[in-house]
Amino acid sequence: MLTEGAWVVQVHISGNRQYRRFLRSLIDRLVVFMGLIILTFLLPRSMPGDPLELLFSSDITRGITAAEVDALRIQYGLDGTLAEQFIRYLSALSRGNLGFSFHHAAPVSDLLMGAVPWTLLLIVGALPLYLPGGLAFGIEAGRRPHSLRDRMITGCIIIVASIPPFAAAVFLLLAFGVIWPIFPVGGGEPLFPPSTWPERIPEIARHAVLPTVALAFHEFARFFFLARGEAISLSARPFITNARARGVGGWPLLVHYYGRSILPMALARLGDSIATLFGAVFFVEVVFSYPGVGSLIYTAMLERDYVLLQGAMLGMAVIVLTMNWILDALASQLASRG
Amino acid sequence: MSDSSSTSAIRRPAWAIGSGWVLAFMCAIAGWRLFGLLPAYRTSHDILQPPGGAYWLGTNDIGQDVLVGLLRGLPNTILVPVVVAAATLLISGCLAALAATRGGFVQALILRTVEVLQVLPSMFVLLLLSAWMRPGFPGVVILLTLTSWHDDIRVLRAIFLREMTRESLHYARVNGAGWAYCFRRHLLPSMWPAVMAIYVQNVRGGIMKVAGLGFLGIIDPRLTNWGGMMQDGLAYLYGPAWLWLLLPPALALSLFIGVLILAGQNLEERSLANPTSPR
Repeated sequence: MLTEGAWVVQVHISGNRQYRRFLRSLIDRLVVFMGLIILTFLLPRSMPGDPLELLFSSDITRGITAAEVDALRIQYGLDGTLAEQFIRYLSALSRGNLGFSFHHAAPVSDLLMGAVPWTLLLIVGALPLYLPGGLAFGIEAGRRPHSLRDRMITGCIIIVASIPPFAAAVFLLLAFGVIWPIFPVGGGEPLFPPSTWPERIPEIARHAVLPTVALAFHEFARFFFLARGEAISLSARPFITNARARGVGGWPLLVHYYGRSILPMALARLGDSIATLFGAVFFVEVVFSYPGVGSLIYTAMLERDYVLLQGAMLGMAVIVLTMNWILDALASQLASRG
Repeated sequence: MSDSSSTSAIRRPAWAIGSGWVLAFMCAIAGWRLFGLLPAYRTSHDILQPPGGAYWLGTNDIGQDVLVGLLRGLPNTILVPVVVAAATLLISGCLAALAATRGGFVQALILRTVEVLQVLPSMFVLLLLSAWMRPGFPGVVILLTLTSWHDDIRVLRAIFLREMTRESLHYARVNGAGWAYCFRRHLLPSMWPAVMAIYVQNVRGGIMKVAGLGFLGIIDPRLTNWGGMMQDGLAYLYGPAWLWLLLPPALALSLFIGVLILAGQNLEERSLANPTSPR
């Protein structure tokens, strides 16, 4: 009875610590997000020249009158003192108003809503490619470090890892889109997509294959090296030697002995990995002209559509911060379980 | 220490060749930068010429020699990360040492700041700032340093704390050695392989970032960069021109990154295998 009570108390304490950790990491993310808001607020205002002119310095806005300029200045909250402007900027953001893109003639939030699912599809699609693959190959190589098999696998992975993500995307496009055209070279679906979902889904999947592989390419190496390093140190541990002596080998050894010990560590790295993936997805989407947020931001950069650029960046930041917050919480939950 | 490094370099010819190669290129870059010995990257009427006698690696769509572009892109692609990695190492090393030796409030402040910054998707900030500023050489260096100075503070602090517990250090301190002496003769030599491994890894990451910025075309367009050269070649996938427009910069990038991965692994193994380090 007494021991059970002690156990309950212990669980309660660790639960409380978990909760506080969770809260603390939420505060971290709020601080970071606030920092980003301040950055996007200050950037256009700290550039030399009139921010309004900078925001709309393009051909389509050349013929506007002085009265219209004043109206725009008020509409974009660029009148009044810096503090007033900031408060208005914050209140607009809190209402979900990210601004209006002249180049696309649409609110930034609408544009984001249309693009985010495509990007998420790529990122979620890449996960089952690189995570199990990288871990399995890494364990296989790290089981007997410096053996012929390890040297062969590691050699191949080093070659894979030394190709920058955008180069990998370009060469995948070249190989399977142009030279041997078995996959479409760009876009998220055909120009005239089929109207019914059962016909549409295979088309979307077919278009997503190459970008997903390109995205998974680089993270594969990261998890390979992680698993290989862990497997090398695990191989020296008695419970592995014991299992080997008992004749456990092959798949069960890989999954139940190595895999289980490495998984919490791998999940802990997944939070980092998500942020890198969101960085890499830019390049992949640009190469495959995929209709996601990366392409949206890229066109915004080329057209100097700064309203869209900033809105899209803030939107992406919210997604990344939320995703790695959840992953961090999951990882710490798993790690604390042991 | 120097003895063990020289024997390991001999035992590992790949490592010796790799580092020698990198060094040779560094010298070459410095020479070109200083004396302007490189031919101009000028446009000509010979557009999209295949590799041949006059142009060893062919020409691009505005008649620029690909080989000259490759050489001119070398400092912009390699030297930037080399400088950035040195700067970040200096900053994070100092802050890590401060956190490890001071403790208390200073340590809490540094570690908490790092914790918050680690959440920040630094690639976004880099892209955002770069898109606004279209930075040149110094600008890229500053931007990359600003977005990555915090990355290694935790690791370096852990290394510092580990090395501070060494008996040889305590022995030297008890015998009246000053901190400067201890740092030079005890701390630095034992931390060196690990620090170099971090440095090499950062250079590799930096190359990818700089090439990526060039590929997206959001740095000063006068700054020829291997990533930017690949972007230029992207329009010629249909036809033979990608052979000499895409392959040379891509191979150059991969070769550099590959050598750095090998060097980094070697350093890492050495820092683990170092018999004098308690690990």
